[in-house]
Amino acid sequence: MNPSVTSLAHMPKLQAEQLRVLRSGKEVLSGVSFNVAGGEVYGLLGGNGAGKSTTLAAFLGFVPAASGRVVVDGLDVGSDLAAARRAMAYLPEAASLYEHLDARENLDYFLQLADMRCSADEIDLALDRVSLGAEARGLKLRSYSKGMRQKVAIALAILRDTGILLLDEPTSGLDPTAIDEFHGLVRGLADAGKAILMVTHDVYGACQVADRIGLLRGGQLVAQFEAPPGGRIDTETVHRAFSPRAAA
Amino acid sequence: MGRRTVEAMSARSASASVWSALRREAAFLARDRSAWAWWLVVLFLSVLAVSAGLNEVHRQKATIAHLVEADRAERMAVLKTRKEWSAVYHSFHLTYDPPSEFAFAALGRRDDAAWKHRVRMLALEGQIHERDAGHPVLALVGRFDFAFFAAFVLPLVLIVLLHGLRAGERVAGRHDLLVATAAGDSGRLWRLRAGLRATVVFSAAVLPLVVAAGLSGTAAPTLLAACALLFAYVLFWTLVCAVLAAWQQTAEVILAALVALWILLGVVVPAAGRIAIDRTVPMPSGADIVMTQREAVNAGWDLPKANTMAAFVERHPQWAAYTAVERPFEWKWYFAFQQVGDQKAQALSEAYTDGRMERDRLAGWLALIAPPVLLERALQVLARTDVRASLAYEARVRDFHASLREFYYPKLFRDDRLEPAALEGLPEFSPRAAGR
Amino acid sequence: MIRLRVIAGAEWRYWLRSRLVLGSALLMAGLLLATTAVTTLRMQGEAAERTHHQDKAEAAFLAQPARHPHRMVHYGHYVFRTPTPLAGFDPGLDPVTGQSIFLEGHRQNTPMFAPSGASADLGGFSWLSPAMVYQLFGPLLVILLGHGLIAREREAGTLATLLAQGAPGRLLLAGKAAALLSVIVLMSLPLALSAALAVRDGDPPLAAVALVGVYLLYLSIWGALALLASALLRRRTAVLAALATLWVVLTLVLPAVAVSATSNAAPMAGKLETDLVMLSDLRKLGDGYNVNDPAFARLRAELLAEHGVQRVEDLPVNLRGLVAQASEQKLTDTLNTYARAQMAAETRQAIVLASHGWFTPLLAVADASRALAGTDLAHHHRFLQEAEALRFAFVQGLNRVHAEKLSFSDDIRRSSDAQAEARTRVDASHWRLLDRFVFEPDAAGSRLARSQSQWLMLCAWFAVLVGAGAWVGGRLKP
Repeated sequence: MNPSVTSLAHMPKLQAEQLRVLRSGKEVLSGVSFNVAGGEVYGLLGGNGAGKSTTLAAFLGFVPAASGRVVVDGLDVGSDLAAARRAMAYLPEAASLYEHLDARENLDYFLQLADMRCSADEIDLALDRVSLGAEARGLKLRSYSKGMRQKVAIALAILRDTGILLLDEPTSGLDPTAIDEFHGLVRGLADAGKAILMVTHDVYGACQVADRIGLLRGGQLVAQFEAPPGGRIDTETVHRAFSPRAAA
Repeated sequence: MGRRTVEAMSARSASASVWSALRREAAFLARDRSAWAWWLVVLFLSVLAVSAGLNEVHRQKATIAHLVEADRAERMAVLKTRKEWSAVYHSFHLTYDPPSEFAFAALGRRDDAAWKHRVRMLALEGQIHERDAGHPVLALVGRFDFAFFAAFVLPLVLIVLLHGLRAGERVAGRHDLLVATAAGDSGRLWRLRAGLRATVVFSAAVLPLVVAAGLSGTAAPTLLAACALLFAYVLFWTLVCAVLAAWQQTAEVILAALVALWILLGVVVPAAGRIAIDRTVPMPSGADIVMTQREAVNAGWDLPKANTMAAFVERHPQWAAYTAVERPFEWKWYFAFQQVGDQKAQALSEAYTDGRMERDRLAGWLALIAPPVLLERALQVLARTDVRASLAYEARVRDFHASLREFYYPKLFRDDRLEPAALEGLPEFSPRAAGR
Repeated sequence: MIRLRVIAGAEWRYWLRSRLVLGSALLMAGLLLATTAVTTLRMQGEAAERTHHQDKAEAAFLAQPARHPHRMVHYGHYVFRTPTPLAGFDPGLDPVTGQSIFLEGHRQNTPMFAPSGASADLGGFSWLSPAMVYQLFGPLLVILLGHGLIAREREAGTLATLLAQGAPGRLLLAGKAAALLSVIVLMSLPLALSAALAVRDGDPPLAAVALVGVYLLYLSIWGALALLASALLRRRTAVLAALATLWVVLTLVLPAVAVSATSNAAPMAGKLETDLVMLSDLRKLGDGYNVNDPAFARLRAELLAEHGVQRVEDLPVNLRGLVAQASEQKLTDTLNTYARAQMAAETRQAIVLASHGWFTPLLAVADASRALAGTDLAHHHRFLQEAEALRFAFVQGLNRVHAEKLSFSDDIRRSSDAQAEARTRVDASHWRLLDRFVFEPDAAGSRLARSQSQWLMLCAWFAVLVGAGAWVGGRLKP
């Protein structure tokens, strides 16, 4: 597959091109290339230290590319960081918001931070979409469970209304029901045209929701899998590629 | 649609977004209870500091008022019981340095340097170094005045409030989300947060000062200068805190570094500087001045009287015709050798004063690299409680003593009898008019 | 016991691997070394200079030629207070009190020339001494080392592991406390060294040991505070911020506030004010220069009767000298009454200030430290009293010479008759009546006794904190 041949209509929203990243002199990503188009969920799989989070950090502009480049919505992150960040919503791993504020106050604050104003109805609608109980919305976040916090953070990503979503280990620590709910939500957002990059080490979850999966190992993209039209990626295949010894 | 229109629009929206960002952060801060607690603490401490200062100034004024009365009564009593020159010998005259209208904010040297003296027409060098200072333990521990509060406590409050600006968010796991979400330059978020916190700290600190200044009638320019100084000082520490808070380190490392900086600027540099300055500017020991003066005065008894009178006339040629001393004891000879005693010690005494002046000048330069000391000294200058003010008072005491001599010498040398009526024009010490 | 050592050992390993801890410890050590060297040298210099001035003053007095003894009463004498060796660690009141007094007849002068008056003015902290480093910055190092003791384990989740393995909370706290205590002992080594040097130079060993002890207790209080905060608060940053705040309040704010409160609660009239009241008292005593002053009529009548003569000229003693003696006696009684009242007022104020030590251990340790180092208010007062005793002794000695060696008729004519004046001069050998002035600091026993209430305060602080620690230890939760 050759990225330069993609048509304009399918222009990728996220592109990594021969991305190399050094952290304190050590190469943690060496020549990673992939892209994510609108309407697509791309699962980036890998074990600990494979370079998943670094790839996300490179898209967010937290680490500079030593060579190669990362492009967000046609904007080079290296040169146009602020605009690139405006185009993305980010869901960090331990979705931490302000403990001394309630769900609405948190959303209100972060939206304003993104230079957006949303009405109370819009906020409530988003909280409905992530199915956060109405009775919890007025409570301070310190009384929330991990799943509830996650829901508020997703509501924020929804309200940001960006074409691109970056998710960092979004399902870790959630119970199975919450994971299913979450996957449904992600699928829905992708179907509405968003480009979603999801970093995870959960093979099963990734296969359930992703259109394509990239496998990172030792800072290199070692394999890519694509779902057949209308179907899902085969978990068994990915699992074998992910941990050959366990599968054997 | 030209490119320019787009730029103009974005400029307008930028200024609007600064304003809305400010509102956003203000609303956010208003919900932070620990920040509120800190501002209440600052407000409380500031009120405490200025009220303690006002109290002390009030006490000093009352002391002066009382002393003025008691001094007059005492002199009257002396003039009643003693006669002629013996009365002059026994008459003390009160001098004092009233606190300025801004002294409440920085009591400065008034704790351990004399601001009141009673002098008489004997050799001055034996009298002017007497100390009627306050309680030594209290002077050692130091008072809680506004200058101390602002110079030393306030930076620590800023340090505690601002050191975790980013590290705190990092530990809480919000840092990346905040940076990724913030529209435009994410550095602005931290600048706004630091600025807002510091602004509120500044206003909590300055408010009691302004009220107290109003109560005590401080001149507007003095108060404005003090506020400007305080603002610059808070700005300095806010910048320092913000710069270090941006450091990719844990909150404890940043806090330790900031406190170490506070110790360096507030304690180590001043301590080393003081030792260096005291070494650089040698001064005659005080003991040498008073001993020289005493030797000179006492030698006066034994030296041929003509020698004493000759030395006296060098400075007071107008009395050359009246210097004949016939009896073994005459008052004009006695007062003349007191004067000669001062003359002998003059070089040392001037060196002592110049030394203090020079040390203070160097201390002023050194304070430029020790901001806490710079602020404290600057406030003391505004309050006229600095070394210079204390030296100026000493100079006024000397002037007054000289005017006493000028008043008595004609009567002494022309052998006037000292009728009570002759004391009509007796000079009275006038402290510098308040308000400079 | 073994488990205790394991827990403490683990803490030490963490500290030794933490660059923050090592760096701060190095800074502290550097600060201590520098201040100890500088302060010791300065105080030794001061001691040498003051001893030199004292010798010079005594030599000058003895070298005076033959003259009228009353002239020597006014020639006067200087005494200097030489600092104790321990003053090299804690100069105490030395910089703010005058170090020399001019002694003369009829007057009690104030000490002159406090070093603080002549030095460059760079704020209160510029008088940094080793004692101040311990009082102010010792707690900071203890906080830095101690804030993470429990909170770090809690944040890393290892606290749960430790508790789950059956280590009781109290044992855990005790082990952590032992680790911190060993650091505190290590921190007081420089102090122990200064104290040992002071003992070599003549300070009592008991006072030196007590000085080390009182700082150990003080730093242990801060250690207990750090440990408690670490056990009670969840986050390390919160522990650190809370302890830093506590430090600001206890070491910077409260002592200064206590000073302001004290000058309100126990106001003290200045010397000028009391002098003015005293002067009106003194006027009632009569003029010691005037033998005809009615105040001395009785003395005169008694003398004339005792010797069976009619005229004072016929007395075998010089009435003027006797009147001078009697008048100096009465005068000194009054002066001493006022001086005692002034000292009592100062002591009262100092006690009020010291009582704030219940609220901040800094005041308690500072008071105890000055008392033990021999640089406190009581020592200053004793210096004043001994100076006064010396003054009275030589003035009265000279007055006795005046009464016994001079003839009354010469004495009254000396202002107008040069020959009579010459006969009133007495030989310089009489000046040897001046005693040598050596200011001896208090013995260890009385220094300790004076720091008694400070020990009580510090022990109370410590006991309460240890009690709280035991309580918290029993309820330690991950």
